[in-house]
Amino acid sequence: MTTSKKIVLLGHFGVGKTSIIRKFVTNEFSSDYKVTIGVHILKKEMPVTNGEDVSLIIWDLEGTDNIDLINKAYLLGTHCFIYVYDISRPLTFSNLEENVLKLKEKFPKTLLKTVANKIDLIDDVNDEKYKDTLQKTDYTSSAKTGENIADLFDSITKALVI
Amino acid sequence: MPESNKLRQLKELLLHEDRDEIALLQAKIKTLESILEKQEQLASRIDPIIDKKLAQYTKDIPEKLGPTITESLKNEIANSKDAVVDALFPIIGKMIKKYIQQEFKILSDKINAQLQKSFSLKNWTRKFKSKVSGIDEENLIIQELAKTEIHEIFIIEKNSGILIANFSKAKTIDKDVISAMLTAIKSFVEDAFKTGNDSLELIEYGLYNIHIQNFNSYYFAVVAHGVFDSAYKGKLEYELLNFAEKHLAKGPKKNISIKLAEFFNNDDL
Ligand SMILES: Nc1nc2c(ncn2[C@@H]2O[C@H](COP(=O)(O)OP(=O)(O)OP(=O)(O)O)[C@@H](O)[C@H]2O)c(=O)[nH]1
Ligand SMILES: [Mg+2]
Repeated sequence: MTTSKKIVLLGHFGVGKTSIIRKFVTNEFSSDYKVTIGVHILKKEMPVTNGEDVSLIIWDLEGTDNIDLINKAYLLGTHCFIYVYDISRPLTFSNLEENVLKLKEKFPKTLLKTVANKIDLIDDVNDEKYKDTLQKTDYTSSAKTGENIADLFDSITKALVI
Repeated sequence: MPESNKLRQLKELLLHEDRDEIALLQAKIKTLESILEKQEQLASRIDPIIDKKLAQYTKDIPEKLGPTITESLKNEIANSKDAVVDALFPIIGKMIKKYIQQEFKILSDKINAQLQKSFSLKNWTRKFKSKVSGIDEENLIIQELAKTEIHEIFIIEKNSGILIANFSKAKTIDKDVISAMLTAIKSFVEDAFKTGNDSLELIEYGLYNIHIQNFNSYYFAVVAHGVFDSAYKGKLEYELLNFAEKHLAKGPKKNISIKLAEFFNNDDL
């Protein structure tokens, strides 16, 4: 028996949601920016985890800075949210806490991971100016170099199949 | 001076100016006449040129004015969507009607063609069937042509869009992704056309009908090919209710796919 898990990626425009999924599913990266409109769905079969076959059904939502505007039905029944922001554009994490709080309030049982993407674009991760934000962030990643992409989904899968 | 001469002189004196004017008028009329005549002559020569130009101009309209017209039409449409829809609706309705009539004609042609192929085995079986069942041959043929065929059945979790079970005649598409996409489309449509509690019930996709039937925590999506009329819909709904009652109402949802296949493997509902 295969269990399916619904994973939803959300965050501001152009932070790299589609790129992260693409890197994970097909191991490709492109510097072209093709805006996602509506929702795009992909699937990745994970190697057996805790004795179970797991399929990740990944929902790639269009970017928005206000999660209240997302069609609620897209968020229902989700097993894990991945909230992505772009570390090189402070605007994309300006309302990180607020959005995370909203999600936790509305979906208290759903796992939630925050990801600081495009980590390859900054010179020094340990710079003081990122300290506060990164402390509230679960993962740093780069869809370009592939850094932490597989780890992110592996750990989520493990957390979901206990 | 004779009397008559005097009279003439007097006349001349009195009427002198008038006569001049008459002469003048006469001259003017002459010129006018000649102008008119010339114009007629001209017209007979110019008219064909104008006609030709006009024809060319009409021909050039799409190219020369096309973009401008399209642009202003676009604006007009954008500014008055409702009006445009109202205007187009009857026309499109008529076109659809015409299309259906055409399809019916093709159908009846097909029936005729089938009737004429009187020596095929199928035909003899049908003739036999018709004799035995008492249904006339045309009706039997219509039944054969219009037969509805189920291609896929999905049982999908309503919220997450995750596939619970599936019965399928083709193994080509990714069922998990289709299920999620269907769910996304369904919620998008239901969200976009908020009309109380209405939910999406049918998606027409090419020659296929996707029948959607909602239950509390899951829904059925049945992809069918062929005539999908209310009689068929009614039967299908009934069968799905039956299936749900038997296999989905309680207990763990296991091996549902196998049960689905057993349940629906014959096409005649
Ligand atoms: N350098 C670098 N560029 C990235 C990275 N991830 C994404 N990009 C680029 O950022 C741009 C936007 O990426 P997308 O993946 O389309 O972003 P998105 O979040 O899906 O955007 P929306 O669908 O509009 O919300 C693209 O040009 C990507 O190539 C990364 O880790 N490093
Ligand atoms: Mg995208």
